[in-house]
Amino acid sequence: METNNQALESKYHSKLNGDTLLVVGMLALLVGVEGFIIYRILSETWEIASDFFYLYVIFLGLIFLIETIGCLRVRDSIKNHMFEFKYYD
Amino acid sequence: MSEHNEAASLVKTLRPFHVWALGVGIVLVGEYMGWNFTVAKGGVLGSLLAMLVAGTMYVIISLCASELGSATKLAGGPYDWARLFVGPGAAASVGLAVYMEYIALEAADAIVVAFIAQSIFPELQVFPVTLLVIALLTFINYRGVVAALTLNFVLTMIAFIAIVAFFFTTAFGGVDIHPEYLFQGALPNGMIGLFAALQFGPWFYLGIEGAAMCAEECKHPSRAVPLGQQAGMITLLIGAAMTLYLCAVLIPTDLLGVSVYPLFEAAQNSGIFIFIALLGLGTFLTCVASANGCVCDSSRSWFALSRDNYVSSWFSAVHPRYNTPYRAVIFTMPVAIGFAFSGFLDQVITFSIISGLLCYVLIPFSLIRFRNLFPQSTSRVRPFVGPLQPYIAYFAIAIAITILSTLFWGYKYNLIFAFVFYGIAYFYFSHRHKSSNIENNWAEMGWPLPEGSENQRIGKEAMSIGDE
Repeated sequence: METNNQALESKYHSKLNGDTLLVVGMLALLVGVEGFIIYRILSETWEIASDFFYLYVIFLGLIFLIETIGCLRVRDSIKNHMFEFKYYD
Repeated sequence: MSEHNEAASLVKTLRPFHVWALGVGIVLVGEYMGWNFTVAKGGVLGSLLAMLVAGTMYVIISLCASELGSATKLAGGPYDWARLFVGPGAAASVGLAVYMEYIALEAADAIVVAFIAQSIFPELQVFPVTLLVIALLTFINYRGVVAALTLNFVLTMIAFIAIVAFFFTTAFGGVDIHPEYLFQGALPNGMIGLFAALQFGPWFYLGIEGAAMCAEECKHPSRAVPLGQQAGMITLLIGAAMTLYLCAVLIPTDLLGVSVYPLFEAAQNSGIFIFIALLGLGTFLTCVASANGCVCDSSRSWFALSRDNYVSSWFSAVHPRYNTPYRAVIFTMPVAIGFAFSGFLDQVITFSIISGLLCYVLIPFSLIRFRNLFPQSTSRVRPFVGPLQPYIAYFAIAIAITILSTLFWGYKYNLIFAFVFYGIAYFYFSHRHKSSNIENNWAEMGWPLPEGSENQRIGKEAMSIGDE
């Protein structure tokens, strides 16, 4: 019985790590791609965009901040309820 | 609830990747075409700002949808959230808005598929191919949601991988680009263009909130909805940024603003055959995936409206063998055909955007009401708790209203028509449901009574004693 529980727990934690890896990987890709594109576009158009570049910085910052906290909450939610709702059976 | 769905209920088999496929499948077509009108209005800088502002709004809407969808676990999505937490008038308006948003989009997608098929095989005619596409997708959705969304997953994944491969090859110098296009078309209409471009910003993400509409058919909605929805939102943010960059450095801005298939055109300008083939295939597949997802979402919205007697309860029947809302699914077909052959497709699409924006005001508002009525965060009521609420919900409402206001330039009559249409729906259904006196059965959902309902009940009892 004890071994069964341990196996189940280990399976659940391994699946949770899979979900975490997926989200972290996608967030890293998001930061890399968005950062690269905004840098390329603003650096090429700096003569025009320098007066209002802060608008891009504000909204980019908001996307990163809200999405990152949102993803952390998704992970926490899965971790807190995975045994209760038997997510990985 | 009507008697029809008591014998059979929707099958609960969907997983997070189905939720992702439903959301991204509907939306990715907007990254293959349509978003480039932001460039016509505000140049590259206007388009970039529209992408970021709309992206911020959709990130918040996605979090609201994740919280509401995983809590209610109902097929109606925004309709059910408004019904439970706002009221019958708002519920009917948002239910109809979701239905119109998706069915108009389905019609537009089917026509584009027919046009692409005709450009490959000139002997084909647009009318019968459009009919065939609509009929085929309706049949797939009739047979079962798992098959429909698994198909969406495959189509969407191919289309997304095509963008990613093209982007990384370009970013690492595999394609000759023209960075001078970025400066030449940076801001052609001045500062006003920055503001005007916002009206087409939603094209990058329009419909992602629909991912939560399969909550009732998920095996574990409290995991599948937040995970699938957030993964979908990140996918779209990545896809939008890649698309904008690729098109802006490969197509001159004046041509990009009026292009029908901008990503395909960018691939053609790269001159590399594999990308021309991949992006051409991607354009076709995203249209099919989008139309397929739209049949799924619009039928669920109609099914939910029918289940609560907002429209005839005949539509709320569930197929005894396939466990799909088959009458609501079949009913999407004549309506989509009607939209497709109305001859006013651009007006229909604008109506779809306005309907979507109306939802983006009411979804965060539903969340604010949900938080006020049920402040407790127990597993039963709120398994997923979104961050920074309700402040970001207010912020999303402000962005949605700002984007709606920009539609006044050029789409004044569409805007007025939409407000009159949804206004009439609001007052008609509010009045109808007031007289029928239907109340939400919280106990059936396993929820406690909402905050303040005890005081209301005591007040009603006191009034009835006073009347006696």
